[in-house]
Amino acid sequence: MMRLYSAGSFIWTGRACYQPAPIWEAMRKDMKLKNLSAIGALALSTAAATPTAADVDTERTIGLVVVSFYTSVYETKYMEECPRGLAIGNDEIWWKSLEPGIRDELTNGGEIEPVTGTRRAMSAKRGPNGEDVCAVPTIVEDPPHKTVEGSISYGMNLDGLLDEATTPKTCSHKNFTTPDGQPGIDNQMYRLLGCTFGWRDSGYVETNANGELIDTSQGIILIEVSEVDDRRNDDEVTVRMYRANDIFPKDAQGNVLPYASYRVHDIPGYGNAAKGRIVDGVLSTDPIEAFLPYYGNLAHSEIHLRDMRMELDLEATEDRAKGIIAGYRDIENFWSYFRKGGYLAVTGQFSCPSMYVAAHELADGYPDPNTGECTALSSSYTIETIPAFIVRPEDDDSKTSEATTEPRATQLAARGE
Amino acid sequence: MIQLTTILRTTLLAAIALTLSACGESEPLTEGSEPQLRRLTEQQYRNTIRDVFGGNIIVAGRFDPLERIDGLLALGASSATITPAALERYESLARSIALQVVDENNRKVLLSCTPTSAGARDDSCAETFISSVGRFLFRRPLTNAEQALYTTISGSGAEALGDFYQGLAYGLTGMMVSPKFLYVNEIAEPDQDGLHRLDGYSKATRLSFLLWNTTPDAVLLDAAEAGDLDTEDGLEEQFNRMMASSRADHGLASFFEDMLEFERFDILEKDPVIYPAFILDVTEDAKEQTLRTLTHLLLEEEVDYRDIFTSRKTFISGSLGPVYRVPVDNPEGWMPYEFPEGSPWAGIHTHLSFQALFSHPGKSSPTLRGQAVREHLLCQKIPEPPGDVDFSDFNNDTNAVNRTARQRLVAHNEEASCAGCHKLMDPIGLAMETFDGAGQLRTMENGVVIDTSGELDGISYSDAVGLGEALHQNPSAPACVTHRLYAYGTGRSPVPAERQWMAYLEEKFAETGYKVSDLLQEMVLSDAFYRVIPPALDTNTADAGSVSAEETQL
Repeated sequence: MMRLYSAGSFIWTGRACYQPAPIWEAMRKDMKLKNLSAIGALALSTAAATPTAADVDTERTIGLVVVSFYTSVYETKYMEECPRGLAIGNDEIWWKSLEPGIRDELTNGGEIEPVTGTRRAMSAKRGPNGEDVCAVPTIVEDPPHKTVEGSISYGMNLDGLLDEATTPKTCSHKNFTTPDGQPGIDNQMYRLLGCTFGWRDSGYVETNANGELIDTSQGIILIEVSEVDDRRNDDEVTVRMYRANDIFPKDAQGNVLPYASYRVHDIPGYGNAAKGRIVDGVLSTDPIEAFLPYYGNLAHSEIHLRDMRMELDLEATEDRAKGIIAGYRDIENFWSYFRKGGYLAVTGQFSCPSMYVAAHELADGYPDPNTGECTALSSSYTIETIPAFIVRPEDDDSKTSEATTEPRATQLAARGE
Repeated sequence: MIQLTTILRTTLLAAIALTLSACGESEPLTEGSEPQLRRLTEQQYRNTIRDVFGGNIIVAGRFDPLERIDGLLALGASSATITPAALERYESLARSIALQVVDENNRKVLLSCTPTSAGARDDSCAETFISSVGRFLFRRPLTNAEQALYTTISGSGAEALGDFYQGLAYGLTGMMVSPKFLYVNEIAEPDQDGLHRLDGYSKATRLSFLLWNTTPDAVLLDAAEAGDLDTEDGLEEQFNRMMASSRADHGLASFFEDMLEFERFDILEKDPVIYPAFILDVTEDAKEQTLRTLTHLLLEEEVDYRDIFTSRKTFISGSLGPVYRVPVDNPEGWMPYEFPEGSPWAGIHTHLSFQALFSHPGKSSPTLRGQAVREHLLCQKIPEPPGDVDFSDFNNDTNAVNRTARQRLVAHNEEASCAGCHKLMDPIGLAMETFDGAGQLRTMENGVVIDTSGELDGISYSDAVGLGEALHQNPSAPACVTHRLYAYGTGRSPVPAERQWMAYLEEKFAETGYKVSDLLQEMVLSDAFYRVIPPALDTNTADAGSVSAEETQL
């Protein structure tokens, strides 16, 4: 059906006949072909047989949209990184705490699965007065959290050190080595989550969150690489990350279509500029403070990373760029995710109180000036992106910070937080 | 008697033509053809309901398809019948529309009077409504007999049901199943030259369906009633008014929808495994992209018609952005866009709509595309293929030797019975082989670089953009749209006696720089467009305004 015209009636008694068609008329007003403010996406691979936007687009910008976002977790076949096994689940602790009579009542005498439906929420509310132990993780004391004890991890050397020394911005911690042998890797988030079912391969928490990202189009991250003169080797480019204001268009099989256009969300705080470079098709950036949108497991959240940097192989596959985003993630920012849904402890099989304690023990970044205890965890996220067009408002300069290290307080104030 | 009439008419025509030609350049005199009896197309029906009752009235029903004759469904409408089953569907649809019109929300704005009692008949109020609505539905004022009939039906219904509005719905239903609504019945009248022309209301209807594809509005009907459409000034005034309306865009879009066979989008399907990106939104927007492009270029920018084969200007929606790999500033709407110079997209034949429509569900088809260019854009009929053609070689995409469509077609065309027609189609279609069956760009097929070179009627090209330039230079292209537009407007193909007139129209089209709005003006302001031969008198044929026995029984 044509969708050019709105309704107007010849005998409409309340309005003049022949109402102009608003859609078409509106379009006529700015019918003059104008220069697009949109950013052109460049092809990821020069080897692609299919002509790409690069062939018809001379913009110096690479636009990308994140379609996969996972906490970087290195796993071995026989789980050698977790010699003490996986973290104890919230349910297990809860179940063991119940009197036999209550267990009978909840399971209809053992006939039905104990943790379903409303009992999921119930199992997290095991504080002395029924408090949610994920919302108030210090209210009970659980057995110690099981953490990664291996030496290999994905991630980056965030503090620049190869040993366990401290710096004014970091606390002492053990380093990892990447699978391909790079030493000095800081990834305490992996140490915290790597032995927890929900974050491991096919674990429910992250798999479900990624599914929801695609299904709901909430929390879409855009990456814009501008001032690109040479997409294989360029010693100076600018990288910005935004929150998208549009949905994922998908093909008949549910896959996100490349080369779609996304408008930038105008919430202040996103879009800090990072200096970067491309070497042999791999993009890397200098550190900046960044906020990234995040939605998963029915909870809206936001990832706040300090000293965030990126390493992205723009030629990973014919149609995808892959890499990692790393930085220090504030513990309270991280924990806000769990505060919004105690069921994560159920589906992810961990104890909130145990993990909360462990997170503080493992924190290795940004010491509290008063206590000296670190408040952030070195972290790494593995991402995959596809080409996209990033559409910014024409007056977006005022909304996009040029500073690479704008004080957090300023940004939060701008965001009304 | 008949022979005498024919001789007299021919003599008269010759005399008038001689007189006119002595005065300088003027349109050749024609005697036209018989007035047409055209069934409303689905779009005309829907547009009429929308324009008479408003866009919130839902027209939920199926319509019998029309036969495509001489390249247009509009000509099929002139020979379309209504089967008993179809009449039942029309009745059901009419009833549904009528009930919506009189429901509590709509009656407040669609009825200009309020009955003395909602539970009883009120012939005065019913008559006011029927008179007002009937004028637009029948495209002329109702006769007294018609007025009385539908008022009576409404009153009887109101009495039987104890509800004025329910009764009125019956009267309205009766009007909408009348052949006077479902068919455009053109009426002839004598003109001052001793020939015959359409009467004012028939002229108004022809104008309205040509320019807007909907029923005439009040101003046009008023002009018909006042006899203004019998003067050149009156016609010109109405033409200018109608072309200034945004409905002219819709009218022209409807014409191209018919000319380009776009009704097939309703049934177009692609294999989702092979072409996963060809989703429903893309299908709908692909069609609209081309229609928006055509109306913009031809009515807004008033470009040379032939530029539709070379222009890089178009419109892109959020759904089409990924397909064309074009940034869209508002993914929820449409935006004007010009493909950059050197782009593979230039001309409507490179649009996704054309490429996808004239392909198979799972692969491209140089033959279908070439046939479409020949038949729809150049008006050159390609004969049907023989019934015993062996397609196995061509359909074998995994053939290790013949890996591209070009190679497979060469092998296929070794059969002499196929070669003649394929020679007309394949060089055109092969130029578009860089677009796959869903219109997406590609450079290779089965690992082999696609060769898009070819030749159209003596002009060589290297790709689809070059093909567009060849179409631009092809004299058949403007001649084709001239013939199609005239046939679309009159509901019939030009008759042999109109050859001189058609040549004149083509010449005028060229003189004005192939501007479609000028072509429309030339056509609409001419005598030829309304000239008719009165049908042989049939004493059994009822007058247009009379009430048939069947209607009386409603």
